[in-house]
Amino acid sequence: MAVRRSAFGPAEPTALDRWIWRGLVAFGLLLLIWLVARQRWEVVVASGPFLLKSLGVSWLLTITSVAIGLPAGILLAILRAGGPPAVRQLAVAVIELVRATPQLMVIFWIFFAVPAFTGHKVPAWTAAIASLSLIAASYLAEVVRAGLASVPRIQTESGLATGLSRTQILLEIVLPQALRNMLPALIATIVMMFKITSLIYVVGITDFFRAVILINNREFEPVALYTTLAAGYFVCCSLLSWIIRRLDPKYVLAQ
Amino acid sequence: MRWSVIWDYREALLSGLALTLEITALTAVGATLIGILIACLRQQPSYIAGRLAETYVEVIRNIPSVIKVFFLYFVVGLDAMPAAVLGLSVHQSSYIADVLDAGLRSIPREQSEAAWTCGHSRLQIFRHVLLPQVAATVLPPLTSQFIEIVKNSAAAMLLGIKELTFQTQNIDVETFRGFEAATAVTVIYLALSLSIAGGMALVGRRLTWR
Repeated sequence: MAVRRSAFGPAEPTALDRWIWRGLVAFGLLLLIWLVARQRWEVVVASGPFLLKSLGVSWLLTITSVAIGLPAGILLAILRAGGPPAVRQLAVAVIELVRATPQLMVIFWIFFAVPAFTGHKVPAWTAAIASLSLIAASYLAEVVRAGLASVPRIQTESGLATGLSRTQILLEIVLPQALRNMLPALIATIVMMFKITSLIYVVGITDFFRAVILINNREFEPVALYTTLAAGYFVCCSLLSWIIRRLDPKYVLAQ
Repeated sequence: MRWSVIWDYREALLSGLALTLEITALTAVGATLIGILIACLRQQPSYIAGRLAETYVEVIRNIPSVIKVFFLYFVVGLDAMPAAVLGLSVHQSSYIADVLDAGLRSIPREQSEAAWTCGHSRLQIFRHVLLPQVAATVLPPLTSQFIEIVKNSAAAMLLGIKELTFQTQNIDVETFRGFEAATAVTVIYLALSLSIAGGMALVGRRLTWR
């Protein structure tokens, strides 16, 4: 029985639609390959190991900052939810301040603030890890807050009624469920952090972005090099986004 | 610490603020326009249009904004300002498209169909049925997108545009007072974000009154 298609809203595909789409994708890919094949790739191939190593640096920065930022973010979220009033205000201030400031400014700020207070210059790596971790912690604090809120309140109350301490309830009942619920959002934050690492080159670390700029300064092959750059980030982020979609098909990437 | 540098550099900071505002305003307009286009494309009763919009969002979202800006500047060969504004617009449009799409999706399609049966044109349906409902629900997430634009505008300094973040670095280079400058500029950014949030809240109140 033929179903009349509505003139409004997204449509279910017919078999023909699917074939037209596959044709379009094939055409687009061929066009891309044709455009890309006309570029000079010797430069990219010759600096392949250097580029791969710098891509590794980007991943290292991302993973380190999330590894430090997640516990810090959990701590911030808990302080924000149930600390003493003064601590709660402080946690809110840190989270909102970092989230409202351009990431580039946060990086500069750490880079400038430490010498201003200690009189010593910070090594680039310390400044980079510190600023990225701070950014990760503030964004993850909000993710954790949403995760904690997703666990029904009645579970905490039941825990209290059965005589568990607040710490026990948090560590053994609420947090495990919250972490599972927030997994897609956590990976989304990793995607965001991976993109933010492209800003860290301003302190002089040779991540993927800076590596491409350095090679381009010497060889001047912008089309091939910047295409590689975009493709590198696209592949890495798509991989993570794909994992999110596997975990939760309805998840919307907010940032 | 010597806070008088901020006063000494007031003109530089003010001109930086003006440039940041200019980039933000142009990007907000550009990103919203592209975002509306993509969201409408997704709402079309055509599978192909929907997939095209989806692919656009997916590709744009998985590439950092700085790379788009640099690509437009170095590969396409635009000037610094158009490259920054266009790059940031394209970047933010994918997020704004999602926000608008979610808003449009929250309205049952029966409303559009009913209006269509009553003889309204598509444009009339959008203007009189969808827009008034969508505008109110979409405003809070749209506010955070606009604040995101203020923050992303800092990327323009990497092309040598003398906006706020650029001035911070400049003050540090000339006076070694980077901390004072960074603190002052952070406060300015905070004030900008807060005023956008406040402004959008005012608009929201107007929208819910009628």
